[in-house]
Amino acid sequence: MSVKLDSKIPGGSIDEKWTKHKFNMKLVNPANKRKHSVIVIGTGLAGASAAASLGELGYKVKAFCVHESPRRAHSVAAQGGINAAKNYQNDGDSVYRLFYDTVKGGDFRAREANVHRLAEVSVNIIDQAVASGVPLAREYGGLLSNRSFGGSQVSRTFYARGQTGQQLLLGAYSSMMRQVDLGTVELYTRREMLDLVVVDGKARGVIIRNLLTGEIESHEADAVIVASGGYSNVFYLSTNAMACAVTAAWKAHKKGAYFANPCYTQIHPTCIPVHGENQSKLTLMSESLRNDGRVWAPAKQGDKRTANEIPDAERDYYLERVYPSFGNLAPRDVASRQAKYRVDEGHGALGEKAVFLDFRDSIKRLGEDKVAERYGNLFQMYEKITGENPYKQPMRIFPAPHYTMGGLWVDYNLESTIPGLFVAGEANFSDHGANRLGASALMQGLADGYFVLPYTISNYFANTKLEKITTTNDAFKHAANETQNDLNKFLSVKGSRTVESFHKELGHIMWEKCGMARDKAGLTEAISKIQNLRKEFHSNVNVPGEGKGINNELEKAGRVADFIELGELMCRDALVREESCGGHFRSEHQVDGEAKRDDEKFCHVAAWEWNGSADKTQTRHQEELTFENVHLATRSYK
Amino acid sequence: MFDFVKSTVGRKYIMGISGLVWMGFVLSHMAGNMLILVSPDLYNAYGHAIVSNKPLLYGAESVLVLALIVHVTTAISLTIENRKAKGSRYAVSASGEKASTLASRTMGMQGSVVLAFIILHLATFKYGTHYDTVVNGVQMRDLHRLIGEVFQQPGYVLWYVVALILLMFHLSHGASSIFQSFGFLERKMQKGLRKFAWTYAIIVVAGFLSQPAYVYLLRGK
Amino acid sequence: MASAKATINLKLKVWRQKDNKSQGGFKEYDAKNVSPDASFLEMLDAVNEELIKKGEEPILFDHDCREGICGSCGFMINGNAHGPQKSTTVCQLHMRVFKDGETLVLEPWRASAFPILKDLVVDRSAFDRIIKSGGYISVNTGNAQDANNIPIPKPDADEAFMSATCIGCGACVASCKNASAALFTSAKIQHMALLPQGQVERAQRALDMTAQMDAEGFGACSTTGACSAACPKDISLINIATMNRELLKATITKKEEHTGGGDG
Repeated sequence: MSVKLDSKIPGGSIDEKWTKHKFNMKLVNPANKRKHSVIVIGTGLAGASAAASLGELGYKVKAFCVHESPRRAHSVAAQGGINAAKNYQNDGDSVYRLFYDTVKGGDFRAREANVHRLAEVSVNIIDQAVASGVPLAREYGGLLSNRSFGGSQVSRTFYARGQTGQQLLLGAYSSMMRQVDLGTVELYTRREMLDLVVVDGKARGVIIRNLLTGEIESHEADAVIVASGGYSNVFYLSTNAMACAVTAAWKAHKKGAYFANPCYTQIHPTCIPVHGENQSKLTLMSESLRNDGRVWAPAKQGDKRTANEIPDAERDYYLERVYPSFGNLAPRDVASRQAKYRVDEGHGALGEKAVFLDFRDSIKRLGEDKVAERYGNLFQMYEKITGENPYKQPMRIFPAPHYTMGGLWVDYNLESTIPGLFVAGEANFSDHGANRLGASALMQGLADGYFVLPYTISNYFANTKLEKITTTNDAFKHAANETQNDLNKFLSVKGSRTVESFHKELGHIMWEKCGMARDKAGLTEAISKIQNLRKEFHSNVNVPGEGKGINNELEKAGRVADFIELGELMCRDALVREESCGGHFRSEHQVDGEAKRDDEKFCHVAAWEWNGSADKTQTRHQEELTFENVHLATRSYK
Repeated sequence: MFDFVKSTVGRKYIMGISGLVWMGFVLSHMAGNMLILVSPDLYNAYGHAIVSNKPLLYGAESVLVLALIVHVTTAISLTIENRKAKGSRYAVSASGEKASTLASRTMGMQGSVVLAFIILHLATFKYGTHYDTVVNGVQMRDLHRLIGEVFQQPGYVLWYVVALILLMFHLSHGASSIFQSFGFLERKMQKGLRKFAWTYAIIVVAGFLSQPAYVYLLRGK
Repeated sequence: MASAKATINLKLKVWRQKDNKSQGGFKEYDAKNVSPDASFLEMLDAVNEELIKKGEEPILFDHDCREGICGSCGFMINGNAHGPQKSTTVCQLHMRVFKDGETLVLEPWRASAFPILKDLVVDRSAFDRIIKSGGYISVNTGNAQDANNIPIPKPDADEAFMSATCIGCGACVASCKNASAALFTSAKIQHMALLPQGQVERAQRALDMTAQMDAEGFGACSTTGACSAACPKDISLINIATMNRELLKATITKKEEHTGGGDG
C-alpha cells in the first residue's frame, strides 16, 4: 500500500505558519493534563528538555535513558556552539537569514516550514538556557559573546568555550531533575528501549530492558517520544559515544514508523585521524577551530615532510583557494569532500590520510595566550590524544562520521507515521536536509523539546480518543515475549566471532562504500555484503554471559544487529538517490567536484517503510518538497 | 541551626572555631615562653601573673577545655562517619601529582598524639613539682627551675620534639584548612595560604623548641 | 609515525566482582602489544576481546563518550583516580604514559555511597539525587526574559562556567579518604550562586543540596585537596569554601515559610 505522507504544514506565509498553528492547535486543560502520560526515550538535549517542559505543563512523564545518569547523554560532547538569530552583533542576522542559511546549507532537502520555525524559536532557546543558569561566554561588558561557524557569514553562534553541549545539557538536565523532584517526571536510568508497543494503530507504550537486572519491563503511556539520537555508529568509527545506537528508532521503524533519508550522513571535516586498528572511536575537533585555523595540504604530491619543513610556497590552502568568499568556513560537507580529494590525489599530510589545520598565523597575529583562551581545552585534548603540541606544529585532521540528518520521518508536529509516536532531536529527519550547519544540532534538539513538542503533544491529546490501557494488554505481552526471544537467540548462537568484530566489519563496508563518496557499483556491492554479514551475525556471533544482570555484550549485540539492518537501508537509499546533495555525494553526479543535485527527480524526502522482515526490501515513499521562499539554486560558497 | 551543627559542613566550622581557639592559645603560650630568653625572673613573674588573675585563668581554662572537648569529640564523630562513608580502602594508595599531603591525611593520628601530649604536658608542668622562688619580694612558683630539670631528661626532650613536630603539621594543615572551612578562600589567596599556614606553624613550634634549646645551652655554660 | 612506535606489555591486576552482593577480588591479566597511541580503554577493549574469545566474561567498566566529557568512565589505576595524569579522564589517558612491563592495579571507586555494581562499575545515582534536591534554577519553559537583559560580569560568568564544567564522574569522592562529595556538591552550588539567575533560590539550594549530600552517606571534607588533584576538570577547592559560606549564610538568614492562602 502506498500511503501519502502528509507533512501537515500549516497554511499562510512562512513567517506566520507557526504562530497561527500554535493558535489553531487544541489545548488540554490543566486538570486533564494530569491524566495524560508521556514516555520519553533518551535524555539528551531533546529528551531532557521535552521531559522537563511536559512535566512543567502537568503531564505525567516517564523518562528513560541507557546511561546511569541523564547527564551522560551524548549531547554533552557537542563542543562549538548553538546558533540563534539574536543579531546581538548587529551584523545583519535575522530569523529569515538563519532560515535561509539553514535551507541552503541543507542543500534544499529540508522542509522550509520546519526550518523557519527552528529559526524563530532559536532566540527563545538562548533566553531559556541563560535563565536556567547556563554560563554562556560573555564579553567584558557582561553581554553574551558570539563566534562564527561554517556556512554563514554572520556571528550568531553562542558558546561556552569548547563545552557548549555540556553546559546546555546540564541546563536541560537540571530542569528535568527539578521535575523529578516535583514528582511530575519519573526517571528510569540504565534502561534501553527494545520495542514500541502499538495498540489500535497508536503508540501506547514501550518494552524496556533493565540493563542492571536484565529484566524486561513494560511501560504504557498515551504518547511516546523517541529522542534517542543519531546513528553515526553504523560506521563503527565515528565521533558518537559508544552507546549511541539506532535501536530505539529502529524498533519504532519496524513497528511502522517510516525512516526518512537514511543516506544523509554528515562527515565532519575536522576530526583527529585514525591511529590504529584498535581504535574505538574518533574525536572531533570543533569546527570553531576553523575560525582561526587555516586548512592546508602539501602542494607537492607524495610530500611526506612534516608541516614545519614545508615552506609556504609549497602549501596549498585549498579551502581559501577554492572558496575565496567562505574560505576556511565553508560548510562541513564541502570541507570534508575537499579534504578527501587532497588525500585521494596524494596530498595527504605526512603521506597519510590527513590534512593540516594550522594555527601558526593566528598565533602570530593574536599571540599564544589569545589562541589558548579561545581553544585551550581543544588544544589540550588534541595533545592528550596525539601526544603532539598544536601550538608548535599544525594539527592533523581528517573527516569522520559525526551526525546523521536522516531519521524517523515526522510531520510538522514531529509526529511519525505512527500516531502518538513523536520523534525529536537527531532521531528525526526534519530540519537539516542533506547537510547540517555547524551549531545547529543543539538548536534543533532544544527547539523540539522546549518549544515544539509541548504544543503538538497537547494538540494530539486534545484531538485523540485514547482508551485506558494497562501493560496486561496482549500487545505488551506479545512485544515483551518477542523481545525476550530475540535476546535469547543472541545468547544461544555461541558462535566464534565477537560482536565487536561484526560491528567493525559493518563499519568498514559503510565507510568505504557509503561514506564520503558513493557510487552505484559500490553501493550494490555493499548491500550484498551487508546481507551476508547479517546472516553470519545471527548464526556465528558469540555473546558471552547470560540474560540476567549486567551484560554489556548482549546490549551491544542488539545494537549491532539493528545497525546491520540500517546499513543495508542506507545503501539502498543512497543507491536510489541518483543525485548528489549535501552529505550524500554520488560520484556519478558532480560538476568539478561539487555536488550536482537533480531537483527534477529528487526534490523530495524518501521515507522507507518496513515490510515485516529484514529479508524483504523496504518500500520507498516520497514527500515532495517545495521551496517557495528560498529558491532552488546551486549552492555556492565560492 | 541544629541542622547546621549536625551537618558535615557545620561540624567543619566547629572544628575550625575550636581549633582557632587553640591556635590563638598556642601562639600566646609560645610568646610568653619566650620570656625565658630574657630572664628567669621575668619568666616566673609572667607565670605568676597569669595564675594570680583567677577570673582570667579560670575563664581561659574553661574556654580551652571546652574547645578541646568539642574539637576532640567532633573529630571523633567525623572520623567514625568518614570511615563508614569510605567503606573499604584501596589496595594501592595514590602517588605523584594526585597524592595529597601526609599532613592532611593523618590529622587524626597527629591529633591523638597532640592530645596525649597536652595531658602529659599539664601533668608535668601545671600539676608537676612545685618549687618556690621569690621575685621582687613576691613568693611564686619557680617554673624556670622545673623547666631546667625536665628538659635535662633526654627521653622527655625527644618526646617533646616529636610531639611538637606533629603539632606543627597539625597546625599547618589546620591553619590553611580553616580558610576553606570558613569559606574565606579566594582564588588569589590559594598560593599564599600554604605559606602563611606553614609560617605560623613553624613560628609556634620553633618558639616552643626554644625551651629545651635554652636549657641545653644553659647547662653547657 | 604511529606504526614505528614500539608496543608495550603490561600486567593488569583487576578487581572482579560479579554483582553488588558478591565478594570481589583481584585477578591478573596480560595486556600484550599495546600501542602507545591507544587510549587506556582501548587497551582494555583489546583485553576484553581476548577474554570473550576464551569464553570468559569481559571486564566491565563504565564508559561512553571517550572524549572526557560525559563523566561515565573512571576507576583507580594504582591508587590514582583516572590514572596518573592530571586533568585527564581515564578514556583520555593514553598508553604512552606507561612503561613496558609495568603492573597496573585497577580498582573501582570505593565509597559507601557508590555501591559497586560489577567489576569496575559503581552506582553514582547519589549524584543525581543531590542535583535533584536543588541543583537547578526554577524557571519553566517560556518564562525567560531576553538573555542580554541581565549582564553578568565576565569574571563571574567565567568562574561559574569553571564550576559548571564538572562532569560528575565521581573521582573526587573516590580519591577522598572520607569519600566526601563536597567538591561535586559545591561546584553546583557555586555555579548557581555566582549567577544573577541563581539568586532567588540561593539559600534554599545550599541548605537542600548539602543536606542531601549528607543523607547519601558521603563523608566530611578534610581539606586534603585530593579531590581537586584528581578532578579531570580541575574543579577548585574554592568551590568548597563557597559552599560552606553559603550554608552558613543560608542557616542564619533563612526565612520561615508562611503557608496558607493561595497555592502559588
